[in-house]
Amino acid sequence: MNDTRRMLAEMADPLFAELGPDASEERALPQFEELGLPLLLVPEAEGGFGGDWLDALTVFRLAGYHALGIDLPALVVERAESIERELAMAFARAAQIAGALDAALGLAVGYVNERQQFGRPLGKFQAVQQSLATFACEAAAANCAAMGAAQALNRGAAEFEIAAAKLRANRAVEIGTTVAHQVHGAIGFTQEYALHHLTRRLWQWRSEYGNDAHWSRRLGSAVTARGADRFWPDLTARTDPACR
Amino acid sequence: MQTFVTEAVDWPNTAPALREQVRALVAEHGTRDPVRRANSWTKPAPEFSRKLGEAGLLGMTWPTEYGGQERSQLERYVVIEELLAAGAPVGAHWIADRQSGPLLLRLGNEELKRRWVPAIARGEAFACIGLSEPGSGSDLASVRTTARRDGDEWIIEGQKVWTTGAHVSHFMIALVRSEAGSERQAGLSQFVIPMDTPGVSVKPIIDLTGAHEFNEVFLEGVRLPASALLGNEGEGWKQATAELSLERSGPERYLSSMVLFLELVRHAGTASDPALEELVGRLAAEAWTLRLMSASVAAKLARGEDPALEATIVKDLGNSYEQAIPQLVQAAVDFGDAEAEVLRAVCFYLLQVSPSFSLRGGTREIVKGIIARGLGLR
Ligand SMILES: Cc1cc2nc3c(=O)[nH]c(=O)nc-3n(C[C@H](O)[C@H](O)[C@H](O)COP(=O)(O)OP(=O)(O)OC[C@H]3O[C@@H](n4cnc5c(N)ncnc54)[C@H](O)[C@@H]3O)c2cc1C
Repeated sequence: MNDTRRMLAEMADPLFAELGPDASEERALPQFEELGLPLLLVPEAEGGFGGDWLDALTVFRLAGYHALGIDLPALVVERAESIERELAMAFARAAQIAGALDAALGLAVGYVNERQQFGRPLGKFQAVQQSLATFACEAAAANCAAMGAAQALNRGAAEFEIAAAKLRANRAVEIGTTVAHQVHGAIGFTQEYALHHLTRRLWQWRSEYGNDAHWSRRLGSAVTARGADRFWPDLTARTDPACR
Repeated sequence: MQTFVTEAVDWPNTAPALREQVRALVAEHGTRDPVRRANSWTKPAPEFSRKLGEAGLLGMTWPTEYGGQERSQLERYVVIEELLAAGAPVGAHWIADRQSGPLLLRLGNEELKRRWVPAIARGEAFACIGLSEPGSGSDLASVRTTARRDGDEWIIEGQKVWTTGAHVSHFMIALVRSEAGSERQAGLSQFVIPMDTPGVSVKPIIDLTGAHEFNEVFLEGVRLPASALLGNEGEGWKQATAELSLERSGPERYLSSMVLFLELVRHAGTASDPALEELVGRLAAEAWTLRLMSASVAAKLARGEDPALEATIVKDLGNSYEQAIPQLVQAAVDFGDAEAEVLRAVCFYLLQVSPSFSLRGGTREIVKGIIARGLGLR
């Protein structure tokens, strides 16, 4: 992470944590404006923050991590030029899903290390460990996918990557939310406990800006149209230097 | 909590040229049979390995003094992902190039290095891994094969099993108990055992497809010089587990069924069935994600970090992916369709071998246990 991005994260993290899931627009918007967040993707020359897509990933991921109650990514994307809104929002939701899955995983791991049954922490039971390991893999995949899409956006056209990232993140929602709730037992099913802020948004974000069927059809028809012999060369050309 | 931090992978400028080189070589010397292209890193073809050696594509990162090319880790990564994606028959040298060579360079004495490393880089010396025994699978620390000192020599006594490629290999790196009466992780050492040493015998084990890929290896009074000890006496456990992280982290952990995915794309192109296209989309997204994850692990290894947790995550996800592909293809494709003949052949082959994907290199349960430890649960 470069310095600007670290600074951005250090600004956004405590602010989003404080605003949280119940943030009101009256309180949040002035603070966003003050930090220049809505102008994140507007070039400096035009009075914006001059951030790139990796900066956007940092902010969107944290918005997801803290289940921020305001759709900040929509405010950012509204002002971003040269990209179709549907694509940019699909990327944003993938990043939010990645953040929220990591937060839910953190809650789940913390909880099973605390909660005791049968005279030991739940986290000592192998069945619980194996479920959480599966969850961790899904969270990792969603995070890597969002990162890959951000890197591709910085390079230019990124339709393939955004489609793949949103689809992969969508799929991670299923195992992530299932395991997170399962290991929490009944407490996770209450309004009082924080898990639902994450899981209910995860279910919402899975549907928004393209569900699994939408993106798999789009990606699938594009890959099929290019043909089997182009799949691997295309995939590698997307990241290789000479083709950037 | 963030278990997997990815950064941009600095793909080398030489990548496009290396890819062209590998693609041309595979087109000329690889196999056309799509079934043999599946899971190709267990398919030995010594002539192909020698071709790679001649082309400078083995031991790529090793010192030139030992026959290497002194190229970067990521350049090697480019080459191996190309070989695997193309289904090249890389089984003969795979283990030697991936782990035995690096292990010898890191820990071997001069005699061992001179004897084996340049030959591996030429594609002339192949290696096998002697970890598992009849009584020791997942519980590797229970190995019972022993090494006993006799003057300046060592005598090895015991048995290894499931040894991939022992019948085409020139040496084995074995984990054995070198301290009588020691238990568990203590008192283990690694030895380099030339397969033509008297007392070593290899007995084939035929797998459920009828293929001969792994073996039983009997070690009966095998006499080795002192120089056959690899690294330090008593540190075998530490050395072998470090070796496992090389074994678990590569792109072969997600690409074993790539050939079938590509055949599915080909079939979807003629079938105009929206369900097939959806499946293609889903599997393409997963391939793209796994490639990023796998390359990111390679980049961390290249920087000298030890991304053990990330590598294990990639193995688990990757094995699940390469294992799911044949099941999903079978569920979606009408094999009665004459157009689907190739797809069907590759699919049926992979259905049969894919159960091994989440066993070899550490089972799914063991791998998830390692991830759980990384999460702070054990
Ligand atoms: C194709 C193939 C190639 C191989 N090549 C080699 C090779 O070249 N060299 C070599 O040394 N070995 C090799 N192996 C062996 C491989 O490493 C072992 O199969 C593996 O470590 C598992 O050991 P096992 O087969 O004895 O199963 P077991 O350890 O008996 O396990 C059986 C089942 O029980 C589960 N289990 C075991 N312990 C636990 C636990 N504590 N908690 C929960 N579940 C548990 C396992 O996950 C597995 O599902 C190969 C295996 C295969 C399939």
